[in-house]
Amino acid sequence: MTAFRSHLEFLRKTDDLRSLERPETPSPQVIAGEGLRADCSAVRFSTDDSRIELVNGAYGGVDQSSRGDRYPWSRLGLGLGIDRDPDYVDVLERIARLGDRIETRDVTYVERAATATDRTVRELGFPTPPDETWPRVTLGLISVGANDGSYWAPIHGTVIDDNTVRARVPEAITDRFDRGDVVSVALGVPSEALAAAYFLTITDRLSTPIEDRDVGSTVPVIPTGGGVVPSSAEIVFEAEISDPQPDTRAEKREFWERLVDATTLTLDVNSVFVRDDAVVPFTPLDVPLTDDLQLVGLALAATLYDRANSYWGVAPVEWLLLPAAGRLGLCVVSTEMLYAGFEWQLSNFLFSFSDCYDTVVVVDDEASPRDLGQVFADVWVKAHPSRDWLFSEADAPVARLPTYGRGETGARLYVNATWDPRWDEEYIAPRVSLTESYPPNLRAAIRGSWAEFGFDTDPDSP
Amino acid sequence: MSVDSFRAFLDVLENNDAVTRITDDVSWDLEASAVTMQANETDGRVPIFESVRTRESAVDARLVGDPYRGPQQRPWEWFGRAFGFPIDSGPVYYEGVIERLRDPIEPRTVPANEAPCKDVVRTGADASLLEFPWPYIHRGDGGRYATLATLVAPDPNSEWGSWSRHRAMIHDSSQASLLLLAGEQVPNRYYFEYEPADKPMPVALTIGAGPAIESTAEMWIPVGRSEVSFAGGLRTSPAELVECETNDLRVPASAEVVIEGRVLPNERLDEGPFGDYFGYMNGPRRSMPVLEVDAITHRSEPYVPFCVEGTGVGYGENSTSTFATAAGGPDATLGLRIAGFDVELAAPWPYTSRTVWVIATDRSYPGVLHELANFIFTTWGMLHIDFFVFVDSDVNPLSPRAVIEAIALHADPATDFHQFGVERMPKVPLNIYQTPDEKGSVDVGTSRTKTSKAYIDACSDDSRPPQSIGDRDARRRARELLTQAGVPEQAFEPPHTIESGR
Repeated sequence: MTAFRSHLEFLRKTDDLRSLERPETPSPQVIAGEGLRADCSAVRFSTDDSRIELVNGAYGGVDQSSRGDRYPWSRLGLGLGIDRDPDYVDVLERIARLGDRIETRDVTYVERAATATDRTVRELGFPTPPDETWPRVTLGLISVGANDGSYWAPIHGTVIDDNTVRARVPEAITDRFDRGDVVSVALGVPSEALAAAYFLTITDRLSTPIEDRDVGSTVPVIPTGGGVVPSSAEIVFEAEISDPQPDTRAEKREFWERLVDATTLTLDVNSVFVRDDAVVPFTPLDVPLTDDLQLVGLALAATLYDRANSYWGVAPVEWLLLPAAGRLGLCVVSTEMLYAGFEWQLSNFLFSFSDCYDTVVVVDDEASPRDLGQVFADVWVKAHPSRDWLFSEADAPVARLPTYGRGETGARLYVNATWDPRWDEEYIAPRVSLTESYPPNLRAAIRGSWAEFGFDTDPDSP
Repeated sequence: MSVDSFRAFLDVLENNDAVTRITDDVSWDLEASAVTMQANETDGRVPIFESVRTRESAVDARLVGDPYRGPQQRPWEWFGRAFGFPIDSGPVYYEGVIERLRDPIEPRTVPANEAPCKDVVRTGADASLLEFPWPYIHRGDGGRYATLATLVAPDPNSEWGSWSRHRAMIHDSSQASLLLLAGEQVPNRYYFEYEPADKPMPVALTIGAGPAIESTAEMWIPVGRSEVSFAGGLRTSPAELVECETNDLRVPASAEVVIEGRVLPNERLDEGPFGDYFGYMNGPRRSMPVLEVDAITHRSEPYVPFCVEGTGVGYGENSTSTFATAAGGPDATLGLRIAGFDVELAAPWPYTSRTVWVIATDRSYPGVLHELANFIFTTWGMLHIDFFVFVDSDVNPLSPRAVIEAIALHADPATDFHQFGVERMPKVPLNIYQTPDEKGSVDVGTSRTKTSKAYIDACSDDSRPPQSIGDRDARRRARELLTQAGVPEQAFEPPHTIESGR
C-alpha cells in the first residue's frame, strides 16, 4: 500500500511530477486542463498559506496519440506499487484483484494520520473552476459504516458554504444510509482505495463491505464517524446526510456517472481532519484525459479483460484498452485468434459486457499496448476495407458514450485487424522493425556505437 | 532565402543541430539503414554516412538516411525552415505552402558548365550503377534500392516534363526495375502510350534533387503544368535545370546524381519484395518495367539520400511520411479548394500517411462528403488511399487526439460509414490485406483483385465535448505558468482546433 503523499514522491523521483506555486489566477482547474492537453507530467500546486496543496494528473494524465515513455496506466501503476514502469496487464490484474472477495477478513487498523482542525471545508481552499461559484471537490472516497462493515464509493461535489457540501455519489450506495446518518469522506487516499471504489462502482458491486474484499486487507484503515477510511488519507470529513437534493441538469458529472446512476446529497460537515501539509488530488471535469476518465477507463478495461479471459477456458486476450483520446467510445483488444470466426465471437462478447462503445478493434496478439501508434496504423492497413469492417444491423442497444444523435437502437462495428488464421504462413507479411529487419548482432553493434555516432537520443526509448 | 539544393537543405539541418556525420566505416548492407531506422524511431539526428564500405564503388559517395524526416511532434519543421514558412503551427504552415503553390515560377536552363551535377559525366558502358553504394534496406528485400529518387519523364503537355517519385531496384551495372503503378501519370504514359507503340520512354532518375523538387514530385499537379514550376513557387526562385547528355529531358543542375536512360517496352525485371510504407514487407516479387542506363552524371563526392520505408508508420516519421504531411497535405488542400470544395484542411493520418486522410470541411450541402470522397478516389487518391475521415471544419486534422475523438464519439456505425462499391476499385499490390494470389502480377502494376474504398463521416451534430476550460487569456496564462514549470512549449501542439492553431 502506498500513501498518496508517497505516491507523489515516487512520481517526483521518476520525473513525472512538476511543481508550481498556486496562483490567484487562473484557477488551478484551468492550468490542469491545459497541462492535460500537453500530455505533461502530474502538476502539484504548492501554497505558502493555510490552503491545502493540490495535484492534478496523479492517476492518468497522458494519452497515447504520440510516442512517449509514459502511459495512461503508468501513474496509477506506480501508486498501486507495481513498478516504476508497470506492465499494462499487471495494472489491470491488480485493479481486478482489489475487488476480489476474500474468505477471511484481514483488516489492518492504523492510527489516523490526519488530525482535527478548526478550519472549515471552505477554508481548505479547494479550487473553483472558472465561471462557477463554488469550490469543487473531486476524486473523493465516501465511506458508509454499517453493522456488517464499510462501503466505499467515489464522491465529488461543491462546497456551497463553510461546511456544506453538495455531493454526487452512486445511486447504489444510498441504500446504506438515511437522512441524519453520518458518513465520512476521505481525500488523498492510496491508489488501491480509489481504484477499487471506481472498479466496484462501475461493476455494480457496492453491496459487499470492503472488509470482505481484497482492498480491505490491502489498505490500512481507521474507523471514523462514517465507515472506515484509509488511515493515511490526507483529509477526512465526517458529515451528516442532510435533506435530499433534486438533481439539476447543470450539475457537473465525474466520468463514472456516465456508466452508473448517481444521485445528489447534501452533507453537513461536522468534523474536519487534515494532515500537516495536506495534499489532495483534483481533476477538471469534461475536458480530455482527466483523472476521473482515466480511472474509469482502466477499471472498465480491467473488468472486460478479466471477463474475456475467464470465459473460454483459456485466456486468449493479451490486453484490452479503451483509448482515453476517444473518451472510451471505442475498445481495442489484442488476442490470440483461437479459430476462424473467433474475432466475431470476441467482439460481440465485448459488446455484451459493456454498452459504453459501439466500435471494437481486434488486433493480433503480438501488438503491444505501449505502441498504440501501430494499432492506429493496423486498423487501416491490415483490415480489408470491405471484408474486415463489419457492421451489425442497426437494431442493437445504442452505445452510451458516443455523442451522435440517436434513437434507442444503433449499429455496432468491429474491425478485424488480425491475420486471417486460414491464411497460409507465407501470406503473412513480416513487419518492418528493428527486430525483424536486422540481425541481432548488427542491432547490438549499433546500440554500442550509438553515442559515438553522434546521437543523443536513447536507443532504448520506446 | 529558400534553399535551392539538397546540399543547402543539409546546411539547414546542420545549422539546427539536426544531423550527425558518421565517419566510421559503415556498410550499405543493412547497417546504414539500421542506424537510420533507429534514428527515425527515436527522433534522433539525421545520419550522414561519410564512409561507406563497398567493394566495387569507384565513386566516393556518401549515404544520407532519411534526410527529409521531420520531428515527430512537428514533421514540417525542416521544410518550414528551408523555405521560410512559419513552423509553430501546422495550419499556418499549410497556408504558407498553399500561398506559394498558387504562384508557380517557371524554371530556367543553365549551361552544363554551371551545373554541379555534371562534375562527373559517364556515358555508355562507362556508366555503372554499381559504382554507387545503394543501400540494402531491410532483411528480405529483393535487392538494393534507390528510394529517394525523382523520375523525370516526357510530358507532351509541358515543356519541362513530368516529375514524380519512383523507387528503383538495382539489378546490375546498367539495369534497374522501376516501380511503375498504373493510375499515376508517368506510369500511365509508359503503359498506355510508349509500350503499346513499342517505344522506349526516355527518363532521368535524379537523386538529391533538393527539397522543393522532391516535394512537388509528391504532389498531384494538374495536367499541362509541370511539378518543377511549382517547385520554383515553393522556393520563390526558378529551379535551375540542365540538359541531359543522352536525351532531351532537363534535370536539376544541383542534383547529386542523375541516371539517364530508357524504360524499355515489353521487358520486365523482378521488383520486391520490399519493406514498404505500410510498415510491412510486401510480396510477392513483382515484374516491373526495366530502366536501361545510358549515362550517369554526378557531383563530386555525391550524397545519396535514401528512405527507410516502413518506419513512417505508427508513431515514427521518415522522409515519405514527412513528404505526405508537409507537402502532400497542403497540395491536397489547395487542390480541393480549387475544385470548388469548401475544405479547411486536408492532411494524412499520421500513423499511416498514404492509406488514410483526414479532411476538415463543412457539410455545406447534402451529399457533399460523398462528392468529395468520390472526387478524390477517382483522382489522386485512387491507388493508395482507402479511407477518408471527415471532421468538422474547425477540427484540426493534424491533431491525432482530435481525430480519434471525432471517430470514437461522432461516427455512427449505422449511418456514418460509407463504402464505395464492394471490391470494385483498383489497388496497388503493395498492400498486405490481399493475399499474394489476389494481388497477382498484372502487366500494369495494379493488383489483379480489386478493393473497396470507404469514408467516415466523423463530423459532429453540434454535440462536441469541451476541450478546455477558462477563457483565452486564462488558458494562455496557464500555458505560460506550465512552461515556466518546465513543460516544453511545443507540448501544447497540435491544438484541437484549426483556429486555435493560427
